[in-house]
Amino acid sequence: MIDSKQVGVSDRKMSGRTAREASSVACALIVIAVFAYTFSDPFVVTLAGYTCAFALFALSINIILGGVGEVPLGQCLFFGVGAYGAAIGMGKLGLPFQVSVFIALILSVVLAAIIGVITLRLTGAYFSIVSWGLTGVAMVAATNLEEVTGGPLGLFGFPPIEIGPLQLSDPQTYFAVTATILLLAILFLVALRRSPFGAAMDSVRQNRHLARSVGVDVARVRLKAFMLSAPFAALAGALAVPYTQIVTPEVFSVANTVDGLLMVLLGGAQLVVGPVIGAAMFTLIPQAMNLDPNIRILVFSSIIILIMMFAPGGLHQLGVALRDRFGGKTDDDRSR
Amino acid sequence: MTIAAAERPAVSARDIVKRYGGVTALNGVSLDVQEGEIFGIIGPNGAGKSTLFDILCGITVPTTGSIRIMGNEIAGVPPHHIARSGVARTFQRTAVFAESTVLENLLFGRHTSFHHGVLGRIFGSKTFAGDQQAFQTRAEEVLTLIGLDGERHRKAGVLAYGVQRRLAVGIALMSDPKIMFLDEPAAGMNGRETADFIALIRAIAPGRTILIVEHDMAVIRQLCGRALVVVDGKPVVVDAPHHVLSHPEVVTAYLGADDDE
Repeated sequence: MIDSKQVGVSDRKMSGRTAREASSVACALIVIAVFAYTFSDPFVVTLAGYTCAFALFALSINIILGGVGEVPLGQCLFFGVGAYGAAIGMGKLGLPFQVSVFIALILSVVLAAIIGVITLRLTGAYFSIVSWGLTGVAMVAATNLEEVTGGPLGLFGFPPIEIGPLQLSDPQTYFAVTATILLLAILFLVALRRSPFGAAMDSVRQNRHLARSVGVDVARVRLKAFMLSAPFAALAGALAVPYTQIVTPEVFSVANTVDGLLMVLLGGAQLVVGPVIGAAMFTLIPQAMNLDPNIRILVFSSIIILIMMFAPGGLHQLGVALRDRFGGKTDDDRSR
Repeated sequence: MTIAAAERPAVSARDIVKRYGGVTALNGVSLDVQEGEIFGIIGPNGAGKSTLFDILCGITVPTTGSIRIMGNEIAGVPPHHIARSGVARTFQRTAVFAESTVLENLLFGRHTSFHHGVLGRIFGSKTFAGDQQAFQTRAEEVLTLIGLDGERHRKAGVLAYGVQRRLAVGIALMSDPKIMFLDEPAAGMNGRETADFIALIRAIAPGRTILIVEHDMAVIRQLCGRALVVVDGKPVVVDAPHHVLSHPEVVTAYLGADDDE
């Protein structure tokens, strides 16, 4: 969207804003590089790479949740398409990793177009439930199409995964690749949010009828958002493969989507980096505390309840509120 | 009933009938609204005013009958297309984008006039610069008109009700529409807010055709050149507001049905 805050503000301030954004990108790149090449524990670095992949999935969910205001319980369908796409392409067809991923991305968009045309007529819980149902169909298909998907055991034992000269089996390279892709995705989504399409999504989320009355093609915006979210999820699924080294029908489990949703809610849905913050918390906390998976769910459920009660905008909102309290900022200052 | 037609009415409806199952909400309403006119639609609760309103701006499809806006038949045209052809409307309840600032609300109202895409936004294309310039100019004009110049960065949801209604008109004005439909704009306003609102409509009226569905007779009397009375889904009379209000059938049907007015 055109930055409305810039209306009536001098050019100097506008370029200041761009400069600040450029410097945040530079900082992020430095952090990625430093992290990738100073941390020596391969497990931590690989986990960080996987976190970046999963953050992409959270971003995909947030295009729908924070973008057009639906809860996409079926989003792991596209995650699975990406994971199986990469696995089948490499393992069964002998294609290079990047070609397999590319095909999977195209497939996910086509699939989203078909599913979207049908399911996006529904809103609210109806949309969520139907999209969840479709992942059940995908899971049954993946379990039974043994020739293609390897059945319940899934696909594993891939050749070394590489993109050109980049060996994804090397933890540091894996992290650098996923982190860079994540950074590019964030930049794209920030620009998208500020574009007319971003404004249209926001207006549709807040008030569909009013949006229609100002000329927004509501059905088209919802479909476009859905089709846009699919390749992000598929990319996440594909980039998770070098970490998991196996793809089973479990990728279509709703638990997968719920993990992504929790990340979005943790970090905050109204901000592009919210889901990324959430993804980091979601993988770091259990790791640092050495939590049992079952206890993990308990801990996160409690955290989510607390966040929904005290900071519905997620951790990011909490951070801003704290900064304002201790930095002596008022609402009025922030809006300037 | 048909009113003497001029060269090309801005909004014209012929024999509108709308049935919901066995209930006939509207039964044979016709009207012609001339370009530049402020036209009122009044009637007691449940008379079919809102149904007629939704049909005229293309949200609801009539059972039979035809509607022309600026001479073009709107049957089968999706609502967002009608909106893009210079027709804007406000809503009775869901008036603004509550989570966004006043300025962002105006930005959303400008949707149809933007030509730049995501890439244009990233690389700061000429189209983007042009769009931004046009938006800023129009937003300043509209902010002054609706008197929200000092509130531009406040969230729409926290504004007082009457102020939200002015913002709703502002959103509609962003596309500089030729025809505006206002759905009970003064509903729930206090006396002061209503007076401000009437002044606002007068200020934006030149060069536009405005249709108002309204319950508040004072608003109709002060704004409208002509008003149509709908009672039980049927048109009763179209005339200047003071004539309409003294029409015997209106007095019995309308005033008898609603003690407030």
